[in-house]
Amino acid sequence: MSVVDYTQELSVVEGKPPLRSIDELISRPLNTKPTKAYYIALTVTLSMLGIGVIGLLLSFYYGTGMWGNNNPVGWGFPIVNFVFWVGIGHAGTLISAILFLLRQKWRNGIARFAEGMTIFAVMTAGIFPAIHVGRPWLAGYLFPYPNQHSLWPNFNSPLLWDVFAVSTYFIVSFVFWYVGLIPDFAVLRDRATTKIKKTIYSVTSLGWRNSNRHWQHYEMVYLVLAGFATPLVLSVHTIVSFDFAVAVLPGWHSTIFPPYFVAGAVFSGFAMVQNVLIIIRKIFKYEHIITIDTLEKMNKIMMLTGMLVGYAYAMEFFIAWYSGNPIEQFTFVNRAFGPYAWAYWIMVSCNVLMPQLFWFRKIRRTIPVMFVIAVFVNVGMWFERFVITVTSLANDFLPSSWAYYKPTLVDGAILLGSFGFFFTWVLLFSKTLPVVSIAEIKSVIDGSQPSHGEH
Amino acid sequence: MDNTKEYWKSLDEYAGKTNSEDLKKSEFLEGVTDEFSTEKMSKFSRRKFLALLTASSAFATASCSDYYDQGKLVPYTKRPEGFLPGKANYYASSCAGCSESCGILIKTREGRPIKIDGNPEHPISKGKVCAKGHASILNLYDPDRLKAPFKNGRKTNWKVVDKEIIAALNQAVEEKKKIVLVSKKIASPSYKSVIENFKIAYPTAEHLSYEVFNDLNRIGAWEKSYPSTPLPAIAWEKADVILSIDYDFLGREGNVTESTKRFSSRRDVMSNEKFNRLYVAEGALSLTGMNSDYRLRVRTDAYLDFVTALLNEIVLVQYAAGSNLNSDIKNIISKKSLKDFAAENNLDKKLLDYLVADLISNKGKAIVAAGDSQSEEVHLLVNLLNEILGDNKVYDFDAPFVTEKVNRFSDFKKLTDEINAGNVAALVYLNVDPEFHFPADLQFSKAAEKVPLKIALVESKNDTSAKAEYELPSSHYLESWGDSFTRANVYTFRQPVIAPLYNSRQPEEVLLTWSLKGAAEYSENIYHDFLKDNFQNNVYNKKNLAVSFEKYWLTALHDGFVSMETETPASLKFNADSLSGIKYPKGKSKFVLSLKPSYFIGDGEYANNGWLQELPHPVSKVTWDNYAAVSPSMAKELDLENNDKIKISANNISLEMPILIQPGTADNQIEVELGYGRKIVGAVGRDTGFNANVFLNSSGNSWVISGVEIEKTGGTYKIVSTQEHHSLDDEFVKDLHLKRGIIQGGTISEYEKNPNFIQEEKPEVFSITTEHEYNGVKWAMAIDMNKCTSCAVCVASCNVENNVPVVGKDQVAVGREMQWMRLDRYYSGTPDAPIVSGQPMLCQHCDFAPCENVCPVNATNHSPDGLNQMVYNRCVGTRYCANNCPYKVRRFNFFNFRDHFEDAYYLNEVTPLVHNPEVTVRSRGVMEKCTFCVQRISEARSEAKAEGREFKGDDVVVACQQSCPADAIVFGDSNDMESKVSKYREHQLGYHVLEETAVKPNVTYIAKLRNTHSEEA
Repeated sequence: MSVVDYTQELSVVEGKPPLRSIDELISRPLNTKPTKAYYIALTVTLSMLGIGVIGLLLSFYYGTGMWGNNNPVGWGFPIVNFVFWVGIGHAGTLISAILFLLRQKWRNGIARFAEGMTIFAVMTAGIFPAIHVGRPWLAGYLFPYPNQHSLWPNFNSPLLWDVFAVSTYFIVSFVFWYVGLIPDFAVLRDRATTKIKKTIYSVTSLGWRNSNRHWQHYEMVYLVLAGFATPLVLSVHTIVSFDFAVAVLPGWHSTIFPPYFVAGAVFSGFAMVQNVLIIIRKIFKYEHIITIDTLEKMNKIMMLTGMLVGYAYAMEFFIAWYSGNPIEQFTFVNRAFGPYAWAYWIMVSCNVLMPQLFWFRKIRRTIPVMFVIAVFVNVGMWFERFVITVTSLANDFLPSSWAYYKPTLVDGAILLGSFGFFFTWVLLFSKTLPVVSIAEIKSVIDGSQPSHGEH
Repeated sequence: MDNTKEYWKSLDEYAGKTNSEDLKKSEFLEGVTDEFSTEKMSKFSRRKFLALLTASSAFATASCSDYYDQGKLVPYTKRPEGFLPGKANYYASSCAGCSESCGILIKTREGRPIKIDGNPEHPISKGKVCAKGHASILNLYDPDRLKAPFKNGRKTNWKVVDKEIIAALNQAVEEKKKIVLVSKKIASPSYKSVIENFKIAYPTAEHLSYEVFNDLNRIGAWEKSYPSTPLPAIAWEKADVILSIDYDFLGREGNVTESTKRFSSRRDVMSNEKFNRLYVAEGALSLTGMNSDYRLRVRTDAYLDFVTALLNEIVLVQYAAGSNLNSDIKNIISKKSLKDFAAENNLDKKLLDYLVADLISNKGKAIVAAGDSQSEEVHLLVNLLNEILGDNKVYDFDAPFVTEKVNRFSDFKKLTDEINAGNVAALVYLNVDPEFHFPADLQFSKAAEKVPLKIALVESKNDTSAKAEYELPSSHYLESWGDSFTRANVYTFRQPVIAPLYNSRQPEEVLLTWSLKGAAEYSENIYHDFLKDNFQNNVYNKKNLAVSFEKYWLTALHDGFVSMETETPASLKFNADSLSGIKYPKGKSKFVLSLKPSYFIGDGEYANNGWLQELPHPVSKVTWDNYAAVSPSMAKELDLENNDKIKISANNISLEMPILIQPGTADNQIEVELGYGRKIVGAVGRDTGFNANVFLNSSGNSWVISGVEIEKTGGTYKIVSTQEHHSLDDEFVKDLHLKRGIIQGGTISEYEKNPNFIQEEKPEVFSITTEHEYNGVKWAMAIDMNKCTSCAVCVASCNVENNVPVVGKDQVAVGREMQWMRLDRYYSGTPDAPIVSGQPMLCQHCDFAPCENVCPVNATNHSPDGLNQMVYNRCVGTRYCANNCPYKVRRFNFFNFRDHFEDAYYLNEVTPLVHNPEVTVRSRGVMEKCTFCVQRISEARSEAKAEGREFKGDDVVVACQQSCPADAIVFGDSNDMESKVSKYREHQLGYHVLEETAVKPNVTYIAKLRNTHSEEA
């Protein structure tokens, strides 16, 4: 076992690669023709997307009856998917904003990609509120716009808060992401070999000249935006959780939801980012930039948030008992032992038990194992939303109205399509934009910053 | 040459050539106009050309837009008298849904009937009509109705049909071969004389009638017991103690609305009259059994023993009555002791002791009544029991039945023999379906093939008409004239409220036309005139009235009925000899099959009525199918689960059908409802249920089939219900309705001891915000669960009033039924002896409606008069409101159900005419729910305004309230302290469901009191 010198801060980039090689390495995927594997991957994701589109068209043509939703269970897969994808969209901004403010240098290697995934995940999530309504062609009614009827949306409704929260989050994340990209666009512009690329990058880099003033402003804007995005990370899923918490339904009507949802969102977001990065670092040979140390840190966060989520599960039960509300108690016992017990135990084992393996350093640092665990986490988190949404609705106050929810093939197709949509964007992103921040990585390479050690 | 021209046009002109001046004078050059002739020119004037050009471009523009004829209503230039567009007209008539002939009031709008309700002035119906009556309006607009006469499957016309058939019938008479008319029970005196006329015109004609389920045993027993007295109705309201022996008088036997009204009037918490006590002995759980105070689970073939044992106990053990009975009878009743009976049938002796004690101590105030499916012997013994206890005071002799005996299947056995002997030339089916109804061992189908001429008059194609040479369209009863004796003292009329939609005639008209033998042609008034004459001769002339006949006739039609005088029997004379022939069957087979009529689809005549098919079974909540109901322990023994198919075999006939585990069923009894399983039926009724008519017995008149074998087949068939069935054994879900206070109640003695016992358990609910004030009218409803029997008439009425769509079996299977009202059914107790609680559930119009604050687009909101309203146009369909509704009474249009059901079956030209024009027809993607009949509120309000009076809550009668036979639903203004609804809201037994959620619902439920013995409290 090697002796670790804790007096020295370890570099987050392995080796001491020349700065120029970073430019070279990160812009390489953008300058080379896509490989066959890339096309195969794209075909797969586009096929998934196509299946989803077919499912959607069927739903639009015939109605929401193509799904498994029924009378007690008004919300099924679409809302589960919505919450799931919004959750996935949490890791990016958390990594890029909160970890930035906390001066976590290891974030630099993964921030760009995570942010990209945030944007794509929020885009994916954004589809669902629009399509899940009975008359999607009237979804515009959800937006407040002046009209001759003086009709406004109902500002009391959490669904309306959702509209604002998610769109604000999307806009801020997108701006934050774009601002971060500006210095990199400049690098790409300078390295561009064709006229078209040069023109595009010239426009997108907004005349960046690497001047001192530019850097000064840039750092300030980035800091301000990070500060701006930070509360949003917490607010979005808080508000999404209000969709449930504001309702009167047992199992939904609960004050623990906001922190519980945020922890869950970070949990699933990290799992998804970890999954995708493991593939990206391998293909693009970024192992020394997105190091095993970074992955280990992510796994630690997953372990933490997984335990937070587990705590929330336990606390829900405790409060149900402690509140003395028999209907609430029934709901939770029913979750664990009722008709949806299978979903509940998938959720618990994936979200609470699986991450416990990360107590072992070996597992935290073994790529295939951590990959599998993160996949389970994503499955588990999807099921968490399923359990929350469906079980409370299926067995609520009046036993007479209870019914079992069974999704249909169309539900499955749309879920598959959402993955297709998301990964199509991820693939396009990986070939068109620098997936790792060139500027930020350079700043954390050993020796790039003045240090007191060399005095 | 002197050229003075300053301007010139040509050199010739310049040169002053001579002809140039001439040329100038004529417009055209010479020769140019030679060809010109006005003859050869186009006929179009320029004007016309321009007109055509304009018109064609206008047409082109118009035709290229997607304009289509939207069938706009154009106001009358000259309004017919008594007819105001937008205002409903009401006509009194009578229902032909079954042979009870209830008086009805038909609401028509713009000439089309849209709603049927009871005629409030009718002495028997008293403003109520059953679910079938309500929904029968859909049969009028059924797209599968026969639209024209058919001969051998080819369309023809009445003229040809009349001519050919008259010729054929004449020939039959000449050949001395029989013409047999087959009909259902005919309660109409005029129809009967039409048939008599027909028999005179064709001397070889015979008339046979049948009902799959009939009251011949009851009538037969009564005539034996009391030979000189007409069969009376039972005045349930006079009885303090009622023992029903397999008699579902609240659900499906006899005039259920009348019985319900009479029965429930003795369960009124607002009156001081004491509650009646209902004992029900039955094999399978029925609606009546659900409402019993004590239920005895007895196999359907054990009632002869049961009544004997009761008589034994009362007469021979307790010497409480009947001491003067002769020794023969005493001998008969000594055969079974109550103790033995209790032991054999595994009954709680305590229960039986209660029963006997109650019967003895309430002499003259109790009634025992047996069901139609019980044998004549059982009815005879029941008559004896009532006689010796003096309970015949509970009979209603003021309104006795006009007993009309139908033929037994044994008579049809004779008919098939005649057919096989070649003696029958023609069969005329008058709205019947013997191919479907007749028992298999009658072999009727095979025999009928031998009859050369079969004529079927039917509303829509059925199994029988499909095999007939002539298939003739019969008019719906809303298109027909008619009369009938609802009771001996009530002569009820039927009048058409719409001209026949298709080329149809009513059977009376057809028979009259044929009776004319071609001497005169059919005319529209043929039966109308006949009916009028008949009425004049048989009623008016006997009455010796001062008014002219014409006036009397019109008044009678307006009222819908006339009262007749009947003689009250001087005294009842019981004929004790009637009992001598009673025989006791030896031994019982292991399994017994009980056949019962269906609750809502009649004998199959309503199989194509989507509203009735989808109306949940009052007990099991199953829709669209029948099933074999078995007890939980029998299912366990045979290793059966719900939906498993079994093969039922009896008398060499077998049928495979799915089972349903029904708590409360007697062990080893299988109960199947009749009326399902028609083969040839419209699109709605196709593949619904199984035909158990085959088990009927052609030799006797029995719906209790013994010698039954059961076999598990291994197959399954999905039965769908609107309410999930929860295991009664599972401690986890057991009695949740009681634990959650959804169903609250107690016993009479509990209430007497502490009238406030419901209020004491009320949770304290407070609000952290100031409450909205309601000034003026505020709507509220109260439902008295003591009166409510879960008969589902309210649901049927609501469906018609509010244009509720039919969704189909596949959608019920996934929980998407659209009915705005539902009747929740909860079991407690044990699987063998379940205590059943029913509860009508509809939108509670909460003051703090949780649906309202979650709707992102304000599509559901609160009106100033306290209604939770739904704005369909604004709704985008997030379903959040439905999720947040604690009562789950909101209904979402997952599809455009009118389009989705059976491939747009109900979107034809005709069926939408049934819609209430005051209620929006909802489309796909929209949430809907009970509106408290806001259209009726608006109508009443505008009427009050027009009349310049104050609008009162009591001006409004909502559809469910109007239809409730028990008057269990009260609606009105809760701000008006004098209103009935306020009194219910203030009642000590009033509670709200899920009060602790603090949503402040506006439907008050009056807790159910069970009239059990005080020591059980």
